[in-house]
Parts: sequence; structure tokens; C-alpha cells
Amino acid sequence: MPRQEYQESLSNLREDVLYMSEVVAERLRLGLDALEQKDRSTAEEVVSGDDEVNQMYLDLEGECVDLIALQQPVASDLRFIAASFKIITDLERIGDLAVNLAQYAMDADRDVFPEVDVQQIGAETLDMLEAAMAAYANEDPEACHAVAERDDDLDAMCEAASSTVVRDLIEHDPFGEDDADAEAYLQDISRLLLTVRDLERVGDHAVNIAARSLYMIEDDASLLY
Amino acid sequence: MSEQNRDEQRTGDAGSPDPTDDEMLIQTDVSESVERTGASFDRDTVVSARDINVWYGDDQALQNISMDIPEKSVTAMVGPSGCGKSTFLRCINRMNDLIDSARVEGDLYLRGKNVYDDDVDPVALRRRVGMVFQKPNPFPKSIRENVTYGLKIQDKGGDYDEIVEESLKRAALWEEVKDQLDESGLELSGGQQQRLCIARAIAPDPEVLLMDEPASALDPVATSQIEDLIEELAQEYTVVIVTHNMQQAARISDQTAVFLTGGELVEFDDTQKIFENPESQRVEDYITGKFG
Repeated sequence: MPRQEYQESLSNLREDVLYMSEVVAERLRLGLDALEQKDRSTAEEVVSGDDEVNQMYLDLEGECVDLIALQQPVASDLRFIAASFKIITDLERIGDLAVNLAQYAMDADRDVFPEVDVQQIGAETLDMLEAAMAAYANEDPEACHAVAERDDDLDAMCEAASSTVVRDLIEHDPFGEDDADAEAYLQDISRLLLTVRDLERVGDHAVNIAARSLYMIEDDASLLY
Repeated sequence: MSEQNRDEQRTGDAGSPDPTDDEMLIQTDVSESVERTGASFDRDTVVSARDINVWYGDDQALQNISMDIPEKSVTAMVGPSGCGKSTFLRCINRMNDLIDSARVEGDLYLRGKNVYDDDVDPVALRRRVGMVFQKPNPFPKSIRENVTYGLKIQDKGGDYDEIVEESLKRAALWEEVKDQLDESGLELSGGQQQRLCIARAIAPDPEVLLMDEPASALDPVATSQIEDLIEELAQEYTVVIVTHNMQQAARISDQTAVFLTGGELVEFDDTQKIFENPESQRVEDYITGKFG
């Protein structure tokens, strides 16, 4: 096949993006584990590993820029590079959100609202991320649409979780307790709400990845926004 | 072309002193029975090909080419060597007539008139369809004479000085040569010579400007000047350009026609569509360099 080096560069970019997604998914999984088990060392592993994710992002950005500048890609090659360029930004931000989860885990020492199943929401976002990356890897347009459709359910789960917390706040005035307890309670609640919000954002990034993959596969921008 | 436009064209050119040009204004309907390749473009069609086949001896160079080229825009023809893109370009102004072994079949209409009709004078046709070649080929004459050469053959009256200035300005060369109009065109740089050839081609005020790899012999700066010029010229002329440089086609053309081996027009569409998401897998493979 002509342009052997170019074809290899495209192939390497695909492999590298998929590798980055595996690293980020692992960090998200560890962040959720740290939250569940209140495991400080796991949380610290996620926080300290963020530099690696950021460096991967910068390296991949460089790969994309080099391909555009040096190889003048067109058609499906161009869409692949443009989509990958955007997808790595989503992956890097998911990495940041995994770091947030780890930091919440390090700050928290007790569970509040056990009825809010953070792990279930987290498992759903992780699954959406992996499904979006599989759609990218397999160039599967149906799978892209499927990820986007799951986002409504995830949003509903997050909305229900937030409502549970807010309703409890309204019904049970925490300021009736002593100040230290009230402050700790409010910090726990804030962390929980932020956790739910961050997981909901992971889902949004998974949808972005699916949307960019659909554009890559079929030049179809219908899932973008 | 609508009936009204045809009438306007007849009226507008009624005073032309050139009987051959008058004859060429007799319009015929472009056949719509032949399926053509490519999208319908917003602009009026200037050149319509219907079932064009070309042979060089026993070798077929073009197969059933049917396409409509819209006015006042840049249409690029790309494809691998030997795919017939230059052959098609030369069909438009009947340059293939000059090749003994070439045989052209089919219909090629310029504003609705079949240029292969017996009553069409190829010399008159070439005044309406100018051509610029790969290698700059100014005549060994002064810059002024290079520009006026076609006009003198045509014996078109008028103010030659004005036409020289206007043509050189349109070719973005005036400022560089206005003080040396009587010096030889061969003294100019390669890029300037090519712009002089463009000035020579547009001096008779053609409708269509054919360019066969006009920048392939030029350095990057001269190439950029020619590309800028092509985009400007397309505001007044219909430019059809053959290029091996696909990035050049992507940069400067409004429509791109992709010819592939065997003289087949595989896809003709807006340039953006061709380079972002072509319909044909063969075109995709060609423009991404997977074959060719």
C-alpha cells in the first residue's frame, strides 16, 4: 500500500488513543474503588497518575498536529484525526474527574445517604465510556447512537440522587445539631453532590466521544450538541 | 440555460463583427437523456459534456464523460497519470483536433452550442476558451506583443494599450512589468512568465479559461501567486484546472472532478464534499493515497 509510513502513523494514533482510554477508564475505576473503600492509597495513586494522563494528552495532540501538518490528510483520514483530536480532550477531562473522585475519597471518612448508589452511577458512566471507545475502535455507528441514548437514563439517575439529598436537607435542618457536626454534615453532602455531578459529566464526555466517533465514521454531526 | 438567457445572449452579441462567433450563438438543447456524473450546482452551466469518448488510435482515453461545469467558479480535474483529465480539458477547446491519432465522440456544449458541430471554427472557439499550459510559454516577443498577440490575429480593433494594461492587471503582473512592456517576455521569471501567459489568455476576454497544471513548474511563492490569481479570475471567468496537486485542488477549487484509470469520471462534486466525505470508495482510496 502506498504511503506506508503515513498509514502506520494513523494506525499508531488509533492504538495510542485506545491505550489512553484504557488508562483513563482504569483511573475512573480506581477513583470509584477509592470512594467505596475509603482507600487512601488507591486515591493517591489516581491523583499522582494524572500527570501521566496529561502527558499522554499532549503527546497525542502532537501526533495529530504532525499528521495534519506533514501529511495533509483528507476524507476519512481527516475525520479520524479530527475526531481523535477532540476525543483525547474528553479523555483527559475524564481523567481529571477521576482525580476529583479520588480527592473526595481522601476527604471523606464516612458515607452519607447510603440510598444514593454512587457506585451504580459510576458503573454506568464507566460502561458508557467503554462503549463509546468500542464504537470508536470498531467504527460502529449504531453503538455511537446507543451511548447517546443511555445518557438520558444516567441524567435521570443523577437527578434522582441529587433530589434525594436536597429533599433531606429541606426536611431535616442540620443546623439544629452542634456546629461541628453541622459543618461536617454539609461537607459530606457537598462532596456527594459534587461526586454525582462529576459522574454525570463523565457520561457527557462519553457522549461527546460517541458523537465524534459518529462524525468520524459517517460524517454525521447529528450527535454533536 | 433558460430560454430567456439564450435570448439575452443572442441580443447581447448581435453586433459582433465575427461571423464565426455569431454562428456559435445558435443554441441547441443540451441532451438530458444521458446520465451525467456529479451534483447539480447553483450556478448556470457553461460547459456540458455528454457521453464524451476519446481514443488515441486504438487506446481509449476517456469513457462516456457526462458532466456540467458551472460558470464563474474553479473546477479542478484530478486523478492519476493517464486517467484522461488533460484529454478532457483539451476536448473543451478542441485542442485534441491537433493530434492526428485522436478521435472524439459525443457532445460537448459551450453555453448550449455543441463545439463539435461542423459549423464551429476551432480558432474562434479558442478565443472563447483560453488555455494556459504547464510550462510557461511566452512568445519570444515583447511583453506587450505577448498580450496583444491573440487580439491582432483576431484583428479586433480597440485600444490595445488599455487591453494590455487591463489584462496584465487581471493577471496580477502589471505593477511588476509596467515600465518594461517593450522588453522580451522571456526575460521574466518563471512565475512572471506564467502570469504573462495568463494575461495573454484573458486578453481576448474568453468565457472559459483552461489551465493544465499551471503551477507545477513553479516554486512555492510563484505557485501561491498563481493560486491567488486563479481564485480572483474565477470571479469573471469559468476556470477549469487540471492538477496533480490534490492539496492545490482542495485549496482553490469550488468543484472537483475525480478521473480514475481507464478514463472514467468517477465523482464530481463540491470540493469540500470530495475532500471530506466522497461518495465513492475508489475516490476515497485515491485521495487518501491508498492507491495510485
